[in-house]
Amino acid sequence: MEAQKIYNGNHQWYVFARDSAKPEKIIDTNQYLVTSGNDSLILDPGGIEIFSAMLSGVLKFIPIENITHLFASHQDPDIISSLGMWDQVVPNAKLHSPWLWEGFIRHFGMENIEFCGIRDEGGEFMIGNTRLIFIPAHYLHSSANFHIYDPVAKILFSGDVGAALEPPEASIWMEDFDAHTEKMKFFHQRWMPSNEAKMHWLNRVRKLDIEMMLPQHGRIFRGEEVQQFFDWFEALDVGIAVR
Amino acid sequence: MSVNNQSVDFAVISATVAGELYRAGNVAKKLSLAAKNSRAVVLRAGSNAAGLKVISDYFAELAANAISLSGQVNAVALSVSQMAVERWHRENLTKNLDRSQAIEYHSSLEFNVRQVAEQMGEINGRFRKSISKLKDQLDDIHNQMQASSVVAVTFRLEATQTGEFRPLLEDMANNIEGYSADIKNHIQRSQLQIAQLAL
Repeated sequence: MEAQKIYNGNHQWYVFARDSAKPEKIIDTNQYLVTSGNDSLILDPGGIEIFSAMLSGVLKFIPIENITHLFASHQDPDIISSLGMWDQVVPNAKLHSPWLWEGFIRHFGMENIEFCGIRDEGGEFMIGNTRLIFIPAHYLHSSANFHIYDPVAKILFSGDVGAALEPPEASIWMEDFDAHTEKMKFFHQRWMPSNEAKMHWLNRVRKLDIEMMLPQHGRIFRGEEVQQFFDWFEALDVGIAVR
Repeated sequence: MSVNNQSVDFAVISATVAGELYRAGNVAKKLSLAAKNSRAVVLRAGSNAAGLKVISDYFAELAANAISLSGQVNAVALSVSQMAVERWHRENLTKNLDRSQAIEYHSSLEFNVRQVAEQMGEINGRFRKSISKLKDQLDDIHNQMQASSVVAVTFRLEATQTGEFRPLLEDMANNIEGYSADIKNHIQRSQLQIAQLAL
């Protein structure tokens, strides 16, 4: 699994992606890590099949006792089916996830980790000295769904928004936005159910100062590409399966 | 570390070793760069530093070996980590099957229980082999770094004969010695961890 630091200030962001060792039919996912002092947060830690690669990847940069928080943007298996394993290796950690999914997520196994439900309207929390903000992204695609914004690094973790299906050898960085839209189109049209939810989210995130947007699948958007994505997404009709 | 479970501990230990080896590999890259720099300075120093050429060649070769070996060992550590997780899955399945079997009318699960036990035996066999390989490879790197520290002392002594280049070469000897020691520390920490992986 490829692992690299993508932001290095008073706190750090890392990406873990393109796991060439994962079983072929499993969708490729991007995982992220925020470290601040002795605390850290893994964002959408991934499925059970990539657990060992992810654990080894994280331990390249921090000791296991520094994994203090997990975040699951929603309840899907590619997001958090590894929970039962994290629960055993970091039993004192906290899991931040939409309150609505608690009873569902616990099916992945959670005897030790503390569940911290995020209210529908979102909120803020601290990782070490770093303030992070939960941005509501309900119905994009899950009915209770959050993204995370870091106002210092100017990074938006955007979950399934901005996602694309890519082969394991693809770069994690956007190289040609126009060409990339073809890889994002079906994903957004079919997985995202609501134009209303889309506009609600766009109105919210357009007000943020964003230098990097990190989706859970596909490539990272930088600078201008973020605005390009917002414009493209706004014009895209989603929820096509019922029309 | 974890909640009292051997398979869980094994998964964490092998992932920790993979992390140590990744860091050792990064230091080996710095060692390689230091060796290349020292070779360039030795060439500039000409006949004053003739004795150092062989040593700086040795460091360059050593660093290349260390980079390649730490990459190989890292791959083995990653596969051990995967096996540890596989054991963990099977162990959980065994526990659940045992629990189901305790209930009446579930003797039909005997076949599954036997199958999982066989799979567990096979994983344990692979696990032992990989651990043994990992130990040997770590010993190799450790021995190479031990030798490197000794040769760095000779390098520093030879550097005293190089006139104006002396401070520069001494500094480089310190770097090489420091990087070798760093790699040795990562390897020693890995060896200590690996010692806990006994089935």
